[in-house]
Amino acid sequence: MGDMKLSFKVNGKGVEISPPPGSVLADVLREDLGLTGTKVGCREGECGACTVLLDGVPVNSCLLPARKVAGREVTTIEGLEKQDGTLDRLQQSFMDAGASQCGFCTPGMILTAKALLDKNPNPDEGEIRHALSGVLCRCTGYRKVMQAVLELGRRGESGS
Amino acid sequence: MERKFSELHWTGKVEVEEYLTPSSLAEALEMLNRFRGQARIIAGGTDVVPQLRKGDYSPKALVDITGLTGLSDIETEGNRITLGGLVTHAQVANSPLIQEKARLLSDGCAQVGSPQIRNVATVAGNLVSGQPAADASIPLLALDASVTIVSANGERTVPLCAFFLDVGRTVLDPAREILTRIEFSALGENQGCCYQRLAKRKALTLPMLVCAVKVAVDPLRGTFVDTALALGPVAPIPFRERRAEDFLRGKSISPKVIQDAAAEASAYCSPRDSILRGSCDYRQEMVKVYVRRGLERSLEQAGYTLD
Amino acid sequence: MAKEMDKKREVQVISRNQVDLCRLLKAEAKPLAVAGHSINRLDDMLKVTGKLKYAGDYDHQGFLHGKILRSPHPHALIRSINTDKARQLEGVVAVLTAADVPGRNLFGAAMPDQPVICGDKVRFIGDGVALVAAETEKIANQALRLIEVEYEALPAVFDPREAIREDAPKIHANGNLLSLNKVRKGDVEAGFAQADVIMERTYQVPMQDHAYIEPDVIMAIPQPNGGMLVEGPMQAPFLTRKNLAPVLGIPMNKVRVRQIHMGGGFGGKEDSPIDLGCRAAVLAQHTGRPVKMSLEREELMIQTSKRHPMIMEIKIGAKKDGTLVAFKGILWDEQGAYASLGPKVPPAGGCHVHAMMMMPGPYEIPNCYVDAYLCYTNHPYGGAMRGFGAPQVHVAHEQLMDELAAELGMDPVDIRRKNGFKLGSATATGQVLDQSVGLMDTLEACAEAFDWGGRVKQAGYIDKHKTKRRGVGVGMGWYRTSIGTGFDACGANVHVNEDGSVLLYSGITEMGQGAFTVLPQICAEELGVKLEDVRLVQPDTDLVPESGPTVGSRSTTLMGNAIIMAARQVKESLLEMASELLLVPTSRIEFVDGKVYDRDNPERKLSFREVTSKCWFTGKRMIGQGWWAPPMASMNPETGQGSPYFVYSYSTHMVQVVVDVETGEVELEDYVAVFDVGKAINPKAVEGQIEGGVAMGIGYALMEAVALSGGMIRNLSLQDYLIPTMLDVPDMKPIILPGYNELGPYGAKGVGEMCNIPAAPAILNAIANACGGRVRSLPADPEAVFLAIREAGGPPDA
Repeated sequence: MGDMKLSFKVNGKGVEISPPPGSVLADVLREDLGLTGTKVGCREGECGACTVLLDGVPVNSCLLPARKVAGREVTTIEGLEKQDGTLDRLQQSFMDAGASQCGFCTPGMILTAKALLDKNPNPDEGEIRHALSGVLCRCTGYRKVMQAVLELGRRGESGS
Repeated sequence: MERKFSELHWTGKVEVEEYLTPSSLAEALEMLNRFRGQARIIAGGTDVVPQLRKGDYSPKALVDITGLTGLSDIETEGNRITLGGLVTHAQVANSPLIQEKARLLSDGCAQVGSPQIRNVATVAGNLVSGQPAADASIPLLALDASVTIVSANGERTVPLCAFFLDVGRTVLDPAREILTRIEFSALGENQGCCYQRLAKRKALTLPMLVCAVKVAVDPLRGTFVDTALALGPVAPIPFRERRAEDFLRGKSISPKVIQDAAAEASAYCSPRDSILRGSCDYRQEMVKVYVRRGLERSLEQAGYTLD
Repeated sequence: MAKEMDKKREVQVISRNQVDLCRLLKAEAKPLAVAGHSINRLDDMLKVTGKLKYAGDYDHQGFLHGKILRSPHPHALIRSINTDKARQLEGVVAVLTAADVPGRNLFGAAMPDQPVICGDKVRFIGDGVALVAAETEKIANQALRLIEVEYEALPAVFDPREAIREDAPKIHANGNLLSLNKVRKGDVEAGFAQADVIMERTYQVPMQDHAYIEPDVIMAIPQPNGGMLVEGPMQAPFLTRKNLAPVLGIPMNKVRVRQIHMGGGFGGKEDSPIDLGCRAAVLAQHTGRPVKMSLEREELMIQTSKRHPMIMEIKIGAKKDGTLVAFKGILWDEQGAYASLGPKVPPAGGCHVHAMMMMPGPYEIPNCYVDAYLCYTNHPYGGAMRGFGAPQVHVAHEQLMDELAAELGMDPVDIRRKNGFKLGSATATGQVLDQSVGLMDTLEACAEAFDWGGRVKQAGYIDKHKTKRRGVGVGMGWYRTSIGTGFDACGANVHVNEDGSVLLYSGITEMGQGAFTVLPQICAEELGVKLEDVRLVQPDTDLVPESGPTVGSRSTTLMGNAIIMAARQVKESLLEMASELLLVPTSRIEFVDGKVYDRDNPERKLSFREVTSKCWFTGKRMIGQGWWAPPMASMNPETGQGSPYFVYSYSTHMVQVVVDVETGEVELEDYVAVFDVGKAINPKAVEGQIEGGVAMGIGYALMEAVALSGGMIRNLSLQDYLIPTMLDVPDMKPIILPGYNELGPYGAKGVGEMCNIPAAPAILNAIANACGGRVRSLPADPEAVFLAIREAGGPPDA
């Protein structure tokens, strides 16, 4: 029944796989494509660790049936680093600010921040708080995350 | 005191036999028909996926309607506003039209879950979930919205006040029917509205109380022409405070009248005592505060100055 | 007993060497090249690129999936278990019950009292009654459903005060009073007789969950030699090994435990890897195949340890001028079903004893009396969680201090200034604080940075309708460095390679706190090499020396000293070699930044690599080993008098809030937190600890509570168990004062757990200041604040 093949783009590259019909994107990325940078913390959309960009928009990959990404473009944390190994400015900014501690929320946090900066290159504190409110961090208290994003905005450098 | 097996043992995976992606409404209805109640509509999936994981229901197939065309727009004609069945909370929250003409709805949609969830979760899904304090349902109820439901047997339009049946249950059968359109009137002159939410944290949480208010005033006479007060969770379904609304109709606007209406509203709602969302007593007290503030702010927005 | 004490004295003598090491460090007082600087974390690159592998990210091809059948009863006898149907399911490889545990069917962090698989009875909802290993997770889950268990429900008890009544159902054979500990200092009744004011209050704190974002995963892999390899995120590899060996019935040298980087721990991953590790290992040993056991979010909420809930009854006496004269406290500490880290071997340590000795707060009080009851109940069990008993009692004494100040008409800062610990103060246990006591410095610095004097006068309504009222609050705190009892030592090995690169072997784990950056910083500092030349070896009990657990804010201090000792041992041969090569005496040789030179003639120089290469060629010692234990803890079990820990960190927090006096909603507006943590080895990492700790304290104050009814947790998901989001944490200002701990590496002492402790009481005090309502039972969610305002007779000057 139906086409069991699923084609979509991940980090610029086309992939074609046949996941089980009920699979969510997070499992497909992690298990079928080996992209374990996407983390799963709750499977309820409550922690945001699994955030990826779907056509540039942040979504919880733990809640997203994989079939929904057919023909679309998914960006995971692995996609931010350029081929020559240079980092996205947000990645560098997170390191410099000390915005990552245990690191488990970091991929989701960075991708969410990237979507914000792509849309709004110089966000204020309130905009950052709202945009990142869907990613829980238990380690940092968010202050250095705020600094990492604010700093880039100030420099007007919105990432890649 | 024995707990159910499913409360203590959890799995990460959702299992269905088929995941179908129709490209037209007719095809979607045909698929539902073919599975005779064993298929379930899925749109954003933010409610359906966790429910499947919990085993609340286990359909054979999911019919994903997000590929249907013509259901993703916010449209306006005259003073009527229409939301397609696939319009997301993020679309509504960020829509200048809704922000201007139905602020209570854009404010409510901006409070659902997190930005991630709002980016995919549909407003129609918020209604279909049938939760008594859903952030889009309460304002839509205050807006006297109606919904269009399509099935193999045809199309029907249901006013929201007749849509909700019980916690998690509406007149729509998600195994046979699709909610395609939500319609309501824009706020006009001398009208104002307000959406308020009480919660233990500022994002990613279910509310202790949601209150949506819409007022129409007669500025010359200084009276309430018409008022809509919707609240949740104070009953098994999103709740309209008809008594308080009736009480206000035609009354001269004054702090005392507002106070009395708030007391009236509080007296007739019965939130449950909840270990997570607060006691009945507290929430009844909060109904008073929120209804009063909601009326005050709505009046302000309607351009009416309360001395 | 006497013999016991003699032995301790002996240990104390041995540890003198280590004390001398620290004196030496202080005397050197060299400028630091690597330590003391805000260096980016060494593991950051892997984290921001998503390349860092957490346990769940490994390929588990060929692994069986382990699952636990959990008890649906809070207290019941197991009448029978039938596993036949489950065994027959295709794909099921093993279904184990109590009789299948090869060795000791008990585990526990402090004392073994929790069955690996329950045989005769269950003691909380979530207790494990059978284990399944299957080819897929789905089959394992199906098998669980096929196991038939017949229970005979027993009456359950959920309140510590009821649990120790004679007629209460007995949860364990020896009764429900796990421990009664006491503090007896001075004459408390005589103290109260001198008091002008006596106040009595009861405070209560709920169970809190660690809510680390990474769910637990453990892998157990049978080894060809009959041993077992267990891997996963864990804070205490050695403690896990200590439990695995007797459970498997094999010696410790056949158990290998490897830590995989943690996605947060906060004390929770001290216990849970023991629980999961023992169970996965039993399955792996039985089947001869590797087993992976992972918990879904809801499962880890049900099964793993929590912060102990407590009820604290306090009576305090003071003179008119605010001088404290007597303190009496009764502490009802709820352990839950199993002992975990509640009690601990005397003389000190254990969450319970720690809470007891800190209960009177960081205040000099001549007469103290505490009775602290630790009671089993049929709830999930309390374990270690950031602050280990201290956040609970701080909620009590810091609020009481404000209530007392109000009664006396004093400023909350003044009463703390008057009574707070200073150099030479004696604690409730009679310990004289003889060095590194920065509490008053943090209070003064915080008051200044926050402008306490100015802001305290501005409390009042901020809107014309008088619905929102602003207020400020202060909280002080102290916290130990080290675990202060029994085994509390750290071993470190430093291996210098011929190419000048360095391997650092330490058993301290990384959970996000920054140990994997701070410890190499210390190593690089001592050897005089670049930070990037030091590689820290992932903790592995087969490779690294015993280091104890990564808890008790002990890592930087204890392991730091051990690393310094190890580095200095290897440096001796490097110095000798450099001296031979440079033809100058060793006393003139400096090692800095990978260069080796004559201090008097810096042009005479070599590279570090030239020295190590020559050492290797000539067979000079290239490994160093360090072992550092703090001065031995002491505490009289009858009076609670003694020195349980060798040094403490201190902190003061101030916060400004606005309370909606009609709804009870609280908004945090501004936050300043000042710390004496001795010398900060990596100030940026310390700031990170502070900021995260404050956020955790905000959660404890305003929203976090494991909601229990009938022994069942009602908020199993992160939708219902609330921790602060980015919208809930205000901007804050962390300030680290220059401090010096004479017994720490370059003057460092612990920081990790100090950070969240004063946060909750500071917020509660600010709420009370703003709205007049005092929330004595956490969390201060809107309803609790609303009720507190009502109890106070309405908001002030409404």
